[in-house]
Amino acid sequence: MIFATKAFFIFLPTVLVVYHLLRGRTHKYRVLLAASWLFYAWLSPQYLWVIVLCTVIDYLAALKIEATASDRARKRWLTVSIAANLGLLVAFKYTAFAYDNAASLAGLCGAPVAGRTWDILLPVGISFHTFQGISYTVDVYRRQITAVRSFLDYALFVSFFPQLAAGPIVRAVEFLPQMATPPSPTARQVADGLHFFVLGLFKKLFIADQLDLLFVAPVFADPAAFDPATRRWACVAWAAQIYCDFSGYSDMAVGCAKWFGFDLPRNFNFPYLAASITDFWRRWHLSLSTWLRDYLYFPLGGSRGSPARTYFNLMLVFVLCGLWHGATWAWLAYGLYNGVLMSLHRVWDRALAGVAWADAVRATRAWRLLAWAGTSLAVVAGLILIRMPSWEAGVVLARSLFGLDLLAGWSATVPVWVPVLLGLVALGHLFSGLRGKVCGLLDLPSPVRAAVYAAAAVLLVTLSPGVGKTFIYLAF
Amino acid sequence: MQTRPTTRPGTALRLRGPNVGRVAVVATAVLFPARWRRLAGFVSRNRTVVLFTLFMLGADFVVGRFTATWERHSPDDYAARVTGCARARRDLVFVGGSPVTEGIDPGRIAGIDWNGRSLASAYAVGLSGGTTSDFYHAVVRACPAPPRVLVYGITASDLNDSRHEPHGPYSLMTWGDLTRWVRLRPESAEWVTRHFVRARVGQASNLYRYRHGIRMWAATEADRLVPGSCPESVREADDLRDSAEALETGSGYAPARGFAVGRYDAIKAAELSPGPFTYLDKYRTGSHLKYLHLLIDWCDANGVELVLIDMPVTADLEAKYPAAFAEYRTRLAEVERDRGLPVLRPTRTAVGLTDAHFADLIHMNRDGAARFSAWVRAALEGVGRE
Repeated sequence: MIFATKAFFIFLPTVLVVYHLLRGRTHKYRVLLAASWLFYAWLSPQYLWVIVLCTVIDYLAALKIEATASDRARKRWLTVSIAANLGLLVAFKYTAFAYDNAASLAGLCGAPVAGRTWDILLPVGISFHTFQGISYTVDVYRRQITAVRSFLDYALFVSFFPQLAAGPIVRAVEFLPQMATPPSPTARQVADGLHFFVLGLFKKLFIADQLDLLFVAPVFADPAAFDPATRRWACVAWAAQIYCDFSGYSDMAVGCAKWFGFDLPRNFNFPYLAASITDFWRRWHLSLSTWLRDYLYFPLGGSRGSPARTYFNLMLVFVLCGLWHGATWAWLAYGLYNGVLMSLHRVWDRALAGVAWADAVRATRAWRLLAWAGTSLAVVAGLILIRMPSWEAGVVLARSLFGLDLLAGWSATVPVWVPVLLGLVALGHLFSGLRGKVCGLLDLPSPVRAAVYAAAAVLLVTLSPGVGKTFIYLAF
Repeated sequence: MQTRPTTRPGTALRLRGPNVGRVAVVATAVLFPARWRRLAGFVSRNRTVVLFTLFMLGADFVVGRFTATWERHSPDDYAARVTGCARARRDLVFVGGSPVTEGIDPGRIAGIDWNGRSLASAYAVGLSGGTTSDFYHAVVRACPAPPRVLVYGITASDLNDSRHEPHGPYSLMTWGDLTRWVRLRPESAEWVTRHFVRARVGQASNLYRYRHGIRMWAATEADRLVPGSCPESVREADDLRDSAEALETGSGYAPARGFAVGRYDAIKAAELSPGPFTYLDKYRTGSHLKYLHLLIDWCDANGVELVLIDMPVTADLEAKYPAAFAEYRTRLAEVERDRGLPVLRPTRTAVGLTDAHFADLIHMNRDGAARFSAWVRAALEGVGRE
């Protein structure tokens, strides 16, 4: 059961009604935990034990860390928690990748190894809940939060179904305080929940799935069969699709959580308005990028060491960020690509920081526009890596993006709806992002908001593809 | 101790002076009991959600006012055929699955002589993918005035108990039909209940029910405004509109574009796959057969003469499923013997059908349908004379 399926539209109202009818904290949270585990079991029935095991280990480890005075013992329990989470993540996600590469390497060395005849099915959401568990025990270790006494509370924090399968990665410090008393959703939260849920669904079903069906899938399947301009449009459409797919899921998660009275963190902040690659990563998948910053980049030393060490840290963080998404060379390349871009941007920024003329130029509108265009091009080019069917196809797509006729050659036989759907994404960015708002719609009068949501819902029911594709980030 | 403010910040400002808002608040407090005031407060606080609900209900109502338009752009195939047949009194009705849909053209058969009387009006209720259980429900709905002759073009897959067609519970069945199914076919009670209830829930919203028709209408209108904007959808919409028109005004013969012009011999010559055919997998009979007996009972009760035609299929299909066809023909012989029904068994040779007259393993193309319909016409006249 995923969002945007009929089963979910029966599951969600049922859980909401039962949850709000029940009285008492324990009853409510028990029902919510049971619903969350049912949700998980629906997606990954054979792996329910994985999330339960992680939950038990992290819960006990945190209690031990808090109860132990000696630093060595505290560190030992933290290691247990991190090793358990990363061990399961690596075992499920990277074993096949490691085997394939070891086999290839052995073949190159003249000691051929039999090809893999087995596969490991990935437990849904393992990349998300393991990171959530690690952040919790690390925060307890750092004495930033106290360990949770109630197993029910902790298990619900890890398994809360709206964000269970594909994030956002919620920190204990953000979520656990909200659980002190079962929050009763305010009228504002109910209305905002409707906003995020409907618009998230709209992004996913109406924009992302339509773009994929109409245009992106056929062009990416065989890019050589299309002219460069069409390929260019497809790259841009793919960038819009992955944004709408993932941010659509995040929005739906935020909306669902609001109906239970919980607030989840924002995961996207209009990433395609970014004027530098650093800015992009401050706007894209925020819960992951801040997690990597706080639990990897800073512990590695961040930018406090030598420049060489800083660039090493950046590269390491982004390579691991790429591998977190998927155990493939393409994702590794995506991480490397972004690490290099981040490092180059840092070199550039450091070189020009404090230079009067450079600051003056960079403050101009023309420069900001140029920076935005360059960043967008770099981001779109990077995204080719994670969709290309082969490296050859990737080169074909990238060439069309960096062709000399880039500015002139956008005239292509693109289905008329593709620019319309891309226009909707641009409209969202311009209408809200440029004004620094979460969403400009939230400030409009109730009748206007309600009319927009109803129009979106009508379009969803009538014009979205009959069968919704699964969310891209569910595979991570 | 802090006290809760009685009004939200800003409200007091807006209500200052003898304005309508203050009068309304006072009037509400005086005229309505506390329960209603609480309700009004709830509605006021949740006005975005309440308005959204009202807008959705309004949209659903508006969509419900144009059902004919949506149905014209995307007919519910089963319902459209049943309605098309029920629109007028029919002398001769054909029923069956997709072999009947594609293989019998009632227009070529209407007007035959049956015991000295002409069967002037004929209609084919061919339900693609249907089973005998569905055909019984279709006949009951499609023939409010019983026809003189009912011809069931039966084939092996109709009786396969491993098959269930959700379109039947969706479009043809009532609560009474559901009860009977559960009683007669308890092994599929859960399946039919699930699909029947799901269908009723789906039909509760006009927006959801007619979503495909709305999509086809929107594609047509968009293409009119911006030619070439959605060519595939427009082609689909055109096909569906043609089909809807044929079912509404014609004799029920509305062959699918691919089947009408397809050639099985060409598929074989090109060594292409004829496509998957799973309708005879896990073949077992007995449960759907009960509905064949119900159909016979219905015909007896209403004075309708029932004729069964064992629909011809390609030799390759029979060769692929010899056991299934053997079991099916045994059952057919039992029904013929026990109920005294006329059963016509046209062989491919007798009709003159070759692979060139089929579009795939089981469906006749337009040429095949013409040839087979001529044979049916002659055969029925023969039966009518007896």
